[in-house]
Amino acid sequence: MLEPKIKFENVVKNFKTSSGDNHILGNLSFDIFAEEFVCVLGPSGCGKSTILSLIAGLLKPSSGKVIFNSKLVERPDSSRTLVFQEYALFPWLNILDNVAFGLTTKNHGKEKPQKKAMEYLNLVGLSEYKNYPVNQVSGGMRQRVALARALAVEPEVLLLDEPFGALDQQTRENMQNELLRLWMKTKKTVIFVTHSVDEALKLADRILVIGGKPGKLLFDATVAVSRPRDLKDSHLINIRNQILDNLTHPDFFMGSDI
Amino acid sequence: MKITLIRITFFLALFLIWYLVVAITQIPSYILPGPLDVFESFYIGFIKGNYLISIFYSMIRVLTGYFMALGIGIVTGILLARYYFLDITFGRSILSLQSIPSVAWVPLALLWFGISDNAVIFIIILEAVLPTALSTKNAMKNIPSNLIKAAQTLGSRGLHLYKNVIIKAMIPELVTGLRLSWAFAWRALIAGELFVSGAGIGQTLELGRALADMSQVIAMITTIGIIGYFTENVFFGIIEKRVRIAWGVE
Ligand SMILES: Nc1ncnc2c1ncn2[C@@H]1O[C@H](COP(=O)(O)OP(=O)(O)OP(=O)(O)O)[C@@H](O)[C@H]1O
Ligand SMILES: [Mg+2]
Repeated sequence: MLEPKIKFENVVKNFKTSSGDNHILGNLSFDIFAEEFVCVLGPSGCGKSTILSLIAGLLKPSSGKVIFNSKLVERPDSSRTLVFQEYALFPWLNILDNVAFGLTTKNHGKEKPQKKAMEYLNLVGLSEYKNYPVNQVSGGMRQRVALARALAVEPEVLLLDEPFGALDQQTRENMQNELLRLWMKTKKTVIFVTHSVDEALKLADRILVIGGKPGKLLFDATVAVSRPRDLKDSHLINIRNQILDNLTHPDFFMGSDI
Repeated sequence: MKITLIRITFFLALFLIWYLVVAITQIPSYILPGPLDVFESFYIGFIKGNYLISIFYSMIRVLTGYFMALGIGIVTGILLARYYFLDITFGRSILSLQSIPSVAWVPLALLWFGISDNAVIFIIILEAVLPTALSTKNAMKNIPSNLIKAAQTLGSRGLHLYKNVIIKAMIPELVTGLRLSWAFAWRALIAGELFVSGAGIGQTLELGRALADMSQVIAMITTIGIIGYFTENVFFGIIEKRVRIAWGVE
């Protein structure tokens, strides 16, 4: 039997606040397998970012287990890298040094950071911009830098938290295709958080729909449609309807503009 | 260019008025010397007298106190930011210390250290530590948490994380704090020097008073203002600007 890459076992997450415990995730269980492209979908505040932080090891569950490669997640390390909507690039480093950042830590001490970073900058098509300050390039380019930085340390799992949410529609579509290309080339396990149904339908092998308070797994949809996908494909429309049926939250963003 | 011209004209006019007032009213020079007396005092003081030596010793004193204050202040600030308990106890009490002007520490410093350099350095440290610690604390608290999270998932932790992310992210705000601390240190230096013996700007100023040499007093006050202006505004101003550009704040 194939071991899952990531396993959530009855994961509960509460945050302590001044007004008592805030229950964010309630008894969440799922498996994610190697090389899967999984989208985590759900309304704002349902705990999607919290799920990524738990996988990354930035947070510990209040109870239950978060398991990576059959071991409990203890702390963050470069086998699971995180990409944010707001890029979170280091403004005092130029583009190349941003990509090289993870390679300067002691796990990667032996290789030449800049040389390897250059390979990954090439991969996202930004080698000409290597000496640019990060705040002098467009949002789409910044997100490419963030992707290159997250991939350069050769993680097993790539965690993306609404990575294209701040981009205009054209750039967002380009970046989606770019990400699919990178995923097919590097064969990472990808966990992609979004609150857009259509973005999830376009990208994912599997969609985990989270909702409710505290957040629970409402629906686990396998999307067995070959890429590139046409959202008018009857199979996708079918899945889309099932997802929407599961989401009764009133302020849910339908994402029909993707 | 035009602004420079206006400024020069303004200052020339000011000197002229000063000159005329002194000349017409015949105020004795131990009350208000004319501009020429003050220039003479500058000239003699710098060429033959001890003005340069005074400045030199004062700079040594203030830099010693300032750098010690930076070391203590930065470490304290980081601890205050890291440990909530320290912040609500110790952090609170040092906030109240900040409203005490440096001269208020002089009697205590003199009793502890005698009328020596150490008393002055002690006052400088006391004054400069607080703004350093507070700005360090704030700079650390204002680091965007995603920057740290990104770094941690890229495998950075411990010393690497401090050196390459935490300190770096703090620098723009820290520089502003360092400038403020310098301003405090500079003022504390003069306050302290008025009361101790030895060579220094404050001592020279106080000596001018004792000898009723008002030209020397005004020459020293001007010196304090000019050095203060160039260090606080010109030197730190340039550093602050450069850092802000390099960090993309501007
Ligand atoms: N460190 C924390 N301390 C206290 N509460 C927190 C903390 N982090 C998150 N929360 C709360 O947990 C809830 C879920 O947060 P989370 O960021 O996981 O939601 P999300 O699904 O990613 O939302 P969004 O779509 O807006 O990004 C929010 O209500 C948030 O206020
Ligand atoms: Mg979120």
